[in-house]
Amino acid sequence: MKILLMGNPNVGKSAIFNRLTGAKVIESNYPGTTVDYTRGYMRLDDEDVEVIDVPGTFSLEPKDVAEEVAVKILKENRDSVVVCIIDSTKLERGLYLALEIIEEGYPVVIALNMWDIAKEKSVWIDAKKLERVLGVPVVPTIAVSGEGIRELVSRIKEASPVDIERIVRNLEG
Amino acid sequence: MRKKLSEMDYGEEGVVKSIEGDLRNKVAGMGIRVGVRLKMATKQPIKGPVVVTVDRYSVSLGLGIADGIIVEVEE
Amino acid sequence: MKLTVDERWDLIDKIAEQVVKYGEYRYRLKDAIADITVKPLTGIPIAIAVLYGFWSFFGAFAGFFTDGFLVKLFDNHWLPWLQEVFPGKGGWLYYIFVGDPAADNCFEAFGVLTSALFVAIGVVLPAIVAFYLFLIILEDTGYLPRLAVLVDTVLHKIGLHGFAVIPMILSLGCNVPAVIATRALETGKQRFMMAVLLAIFIPCGAQLGIMFKVIPGHVGFVMLYLLAGFFVFGFILDRLLPGKSPEILLDVPPYQRPIAKNVTRKLWMRVKSFFKVAIPFVLLGVIIVNLMYLTGFLGWLANLLEPLLCGWFGVPKETVGPLVAAFLRKDLAVAQLSAIEMTMPQLVTSVVLVSLYFPCVATFAMLIREGREGGLKGVSQYLFGGLGALIAVIFLWGGLIRLIWIILGVA
Repeated sequence: MKILLMGNPNVGKSAIFNRLTGAKVIESNYPGTTVDYTRGYMRLDDEDVEVIDVPGTFSLEPKDVAEEVAVKILKENRDSVVVCIIDSTKLERGLYLALEIIEEGYPVVIALNMWDIAKEKSVWIDAKKLERVLGVPVVPTIAVSGEGIRELVSRIKEASPVDIERIVRNLEG
Repeated sequence: MRKKLSEMDYGEEGVVKSIEGDLRNKVAGMGIRVGVRLKMATKQPIKGPVVVTVDRYSVSLGLGIADGIIVEVEE
Repeated sequence: MKLTVDERWDLIDKIAEQVVKYGEYRYRLKDAIADITVKPLTGIPIAIAVLYGFWSFFGAFAGFFTDGFLVKLFDNHWLPWLQEVFPGKGGWLYYIFVGDPAADNCFEAFGVLTSALFVAIGVVLPAIVAFYLFLIILEDTGYLPRLAVLVDTVLHKIGLHGFAVIPMILSLGCNVPAVIATRALETGKQRFMMAVLLAIFIPCGAQLGIMFKVIPGHVGFVMLYLLAGFFVFGFILDRLLPGKSPEILLDVPPYQRPIAKNVTRKLWMRVKSFFKVAIPFVLLGVIIVNLMYLTGFLGWLANLLEPLLCGWFGVPKETVGPLVAAFLRKDLAVAQLSAIEMTMPQLVTSVVLVSLYFPCVATFAMLIREGREGGLKGVSQYLFGGLGALIAVIFLWGGLIRLIWIILGVA
């Protein structure tokens, strides 16, 4: 099993990677910094699991090389759990990528990162409800301070593939 | 009134009505889709790109891309 | 089951309706700044001010440490001490490590422990720290995508788009990471154009640092000349190369306050990785050039190339040494130029030649690596296409500057 960290550019992916693996990766506030991907290891249930910091992408329809790399890594690691990192202030956009990954049949965990900034901007997300609708673990995180990271790690093993039709039903029910 | 996104004036708001075939996939990940409200934030001179606000974030699009997006603009 | 684009967005809008609530949004100072920095009327003057600020900061910071402190340390203490204690004065080992025993400054001595060390630590280190410090602050605030939007109009005219400004600026620090950053451009044509143009026309921070030292009054002119070349040859390449030049589609993130810890950590990592590449080449460069002098190879090459150097470019034949060194390190080459006797226009011409001339070996290796992504065809495109462009540029753009001197009546 591997863990892939995926998300839009500039959502704090590298910061979460550093928190998970203790490694030091450069983060920047502009898209396209992580064009080469980074690997690291984290402890999960007394085992060392490989974590890949996948370059940021807006969708699985790549429009540049960095995004192509992202799609390639995803396709080459079918046995992975994808930790999908979403900027809480840009939920819709993050969900677009998350849904695409769920549709591909990958087990997904969602980190609602930058939770503090969302609150500051008075964006209120009902994380519990989002979790019920999607049927995947959803954890609010603040990567810069480390808040929520422990919970994120503890819930990785709950991830399992979800059928889109079930999400549609959950919404109606 | 319907017009191309590229023809919208600074400050105008509207709802996206249609997006040209191939572009639809390309701009979807950035949050630009049929039915979404957007606002023209800036237009650069001499055929430069436009910047629009959509779902509270900003996206910059080249004029050729903006040509393929039709918006119902509020009067 | 898979959804179409419209179905997926439909589903997202329904989910968002149920799980998100948006409170009153307060328009804040940073939104106002976001507005004025991207609107053309205010944004363009601000961009010019920011870049000018970058330039002044770079010069002032590097000057403060280099001239105020490190030059004195190296020239008044380190060099005389080394000339005194290093054994075997006049021997070839002395020549390689200490250099000219009569030199009174570290630029002219040209030994491994004198010039190479001085260039690396005395001049390049402050320049690189200054450059990355400012760049990282620009990056972390989120200014760069706005700059990309503002310059898109101009760059699109030569088939690139605004995002190309990021590899361009990175390139002013070091061409190697800049070549990697070209991957964020959309098509093969744009990536190739960008990689070749920046490798030829954009001097790196190390070279800039030395230029401020060697031709302080003319750095601005050299930069403008190179930038003009960038656009002229970009325009030509755009017409010659097949392939598409798609338009910009770029996320413009909100401004953020940079976090001091991130800035210092990034600064440390970038400076460290820069020096991992630079130091071995600087030291090796001095050894190789000195060996070529000692064996007489450079003298022979200088005579061979004399008609070209003197006839076409109007520079002394001795510049062949720096031009050879330029393949290893451009900063070293410029430092070496300062020790050759010539007029100011000749010096400026040779600095331009060193910039245009073959990219340093680290950049060259990176270019080949980028080409490899496209298989054998990619490698040959990067190698031969790049070389072709390079030869055309060095003859035309390098020759044109002499014409300018002739017209101005200074050469």
